[in-house]
Amino acid sequence: MADQQEPRETVHPMFEPEFLEATRRLEEQWRKDFDKIAERFGVDPATYQAYTRSGLPIKPVYFPHDVAAIPYHEIGSPGLFPYTRGLLAAQYQFMPWANQPVMGYGLPEETRERMDFLRAQGMTGYFGKTFYNLVYDLVSHEGVDPDHPAARGRVGQCGMAVYCRRDMERLFDGLELTQMNVVHITGYETIPVFAHYLAYAQQRGVPWQKLLGNTMNWYYQSAYCGMTTFPPQAGVDLAVELIQFCNEQMPQWNTLNLFGYGMEEAGAVAVEEVAFSVAAGLDYARACMAQGLAPDDFLPRFGFQIAQANDFFEEIAKVRALRRLWAKTCQALGATKPSAMHVRIHTHTSGVELTAQQPLNNLVRTTLHALGAALAGTQAMEVSAYDEALSIPTEASHTQSLRLQQIIQEETNITQVADPLGGAYYVESLTSQVEAAAVKLLEEVERLGGYRHAHEFIRARIESSAQAWRDQIDRNQRFVVGINKYVTDDVQKVEKFKVSLASEHESVRRIQALRAERDGPRWELAMAMVDKAVARFARGENDHTLIPAMVAASHADATTGELMAVLKRHLGWHAPV
Amino acid sequence: MAEHKIRVLLCKTTMESHDRGVRFLATKLRDAGMEVIYLNFLEPSEVVETAIEEDVDVVGLSSSVQGHVAVLEDVTSQLQTRGRDDVLILVGGVIPEEDVEPLRAMGVSGVFGPGSYVNDIVQFIREKVSARI
Repeated sequence: MADQQEPRETVHPMFEPEFLEATRRLEEQWRKDFDKIAERFGVDPATYQAYTRSGLPIKPVYFPHDVAAIPYHEIGSPGLFPYTRGLLAAQYQFMPWANQPVMGYGLPEETRERMDFLRAQGMTGYFGKTFYNLVYDLVSHEGVDPDHPAARGRVGQCGMAVYCRRDMERLFDGLELTQMNVVHITGYETIPVFAHYLAYAQQRGVPWQKLLGNTMNWYYQSAYCGMTTFPPQAGVDLAVELIQFCNEQMPQWNTLNLFGYGMEEAGAVAVEEVAFSVAAGLDYARACMAQGLAPDDFLPRFGFQIAQANDFFEEIAKVRALRRLWAKTCQALGATKPSAMHVRIHTHTSGVELTAQQPLNNLVRTTLHALGAALAGTQAMEVSAYDEALSIPTEASHTQSLRLQQIIQEETNITQVADPLGGAYYVESLTSQVEAAAVKLLEEVERLGGYRHAHEFIRARIESSAQAWRDQIDRNQRFVVGINKYVTDDVQKVEKFKVSLASEHESVRRIQALRAERDGPRWELAMAMVDKAVARFARGENDHTLIPAMVAASHADATTGELMAVLKRHLGWHAPV
Repeated sequence: MAEHKIRVLLCKTTMESHDRGVRFLATKLRDAGMEVIYLNFLEPSEVVETAIEEDVDVVGLSSSVQGHVAVLEDVTSQLQTRGRDDVLILVGGVIPEEDVEPLRAMGVSGVFGPGSYVNDIVQFIREKVSARI
């Protein structure tokens, strides 16, 4: 048709006042029709209101006037501030998100088997590199060694039994360290584990600045988790020490992981996950700046781990809102480089939404989560296995989670278009709603003096959200298939993974052999240096010898438990004086 | 006669961060009129000490990451040695089916897996504890 060749005449003046008047009239008419249907279902249209999981009110349908007040530069284009639509001009067109399944169980060589296996199944990172997302066991997280009485029955469960430099050899020997990215998933033992990895790299002759990977620095978890080894201020200090070290010596290393996923698992809703992740990042960023670091130098190495849960569109809006809010926050801190304002996301599909009942249903849930994360534009992904609520993944369930990602990447064609939901009236409107609600919550944290001083507030908020969720299920106001709806007595049998007790015994034998075989005087000297460095650090006389002293101690065969004992002694909780 | 207020010690190792369920349970047991003591412990002996000091009727261990069999072995045998095997022992969280029998054999009365209802736990405690008093 000839007239359509003249774009000026055919383009709708979507946001001009007269047109918006017309769409408002359209909505009034639609509302009448909708209300009639509602009445037929016995619903009072005057009080009918739906909400997102975060409690944000949503409409049954959206119109152009719902987005007319959003400044267009707030939405912008992929690769432009405030990065609502994505970090870079290209999204998945030339390289999809990285497959980053969490791995770790048993002895280091058992974890290595799984690493090699999944790699052979096509697990792919960026630019041909492999990402190994490795979780340490809770014995390591606690900072004790496997022969500690508290470790019994826990060694290599829910994480790998890696406690010293020699375990790093068992885990990584034969792999090209510069061609891979290692995420060290630790609890409070971040620095001792980092020291083992650095010592191991040195032993292999690999310069530290060529290492790629992540440290968690999750000390701020003390706000919402039961376990907390260090008081909030000591946690901030330890995190900043590592960030400062990497800033100088390992500029490619990802120093801090902002763990929204952990908040979500503890009960946080989307708005809380955004607000508290930004609040934690802001608090740590200010602490870095107080040490003289420039935002453009350290902020590019901050990353996020974000949950993707059941409220499909709110979870997508959450990711877009987070990108926008973090970019603005970093700009206000003085960041100017795009990478210093980027939210690089490792998606972890929600674990708490999964059920032990009818476990294969979890494959459907995680597929929706993964699709949502992909539509939101994530950088890397771990998809929870369908046996998540039963055990750590079997080889089969682990592979299935990888295949799930690969099917979305290879078969759906969604990777061709960046931010495919951008511009949708609902999605843009909800993105702005999530951001506005998160800003309000962030302001409350700021009024309390920032994240490290707002633990009680954060905990209370997250806990009340967790409670509301379960109360709704118990009152049948929220349904979970297999829990309070479509319950069946049939038990879906799935194979469960079990870590053998023999691995625990071997781990204990190894650590005792290590203590017997190592050069005693050298170890003692190295530990004395660690003690001095940590004592000075704790006294506020930081001479930045803490990490180098720990690396030297790792060379002298010190264990994670031994190094953590020093940190706990000087920086842990003490009875009030 | 004044009604006995049931005293419950809920506990979880400091190693584990999965405390969403047990903290929810703590709130609900309190709402149901029980006294709840909450403990993050490192070694099982701390559970036993606290249970005796606080003179509790019930000990509930939460575990989502294994290790519960070892902890409960120690807790049940130490309570027995100290003459307090009258304490009702419960465990909840991710508890594999194959652990249930061994747990019962060592004196664990209730096992509550993923998705369990708080009301069932409240009822279980009330019935068992009143039978013991």
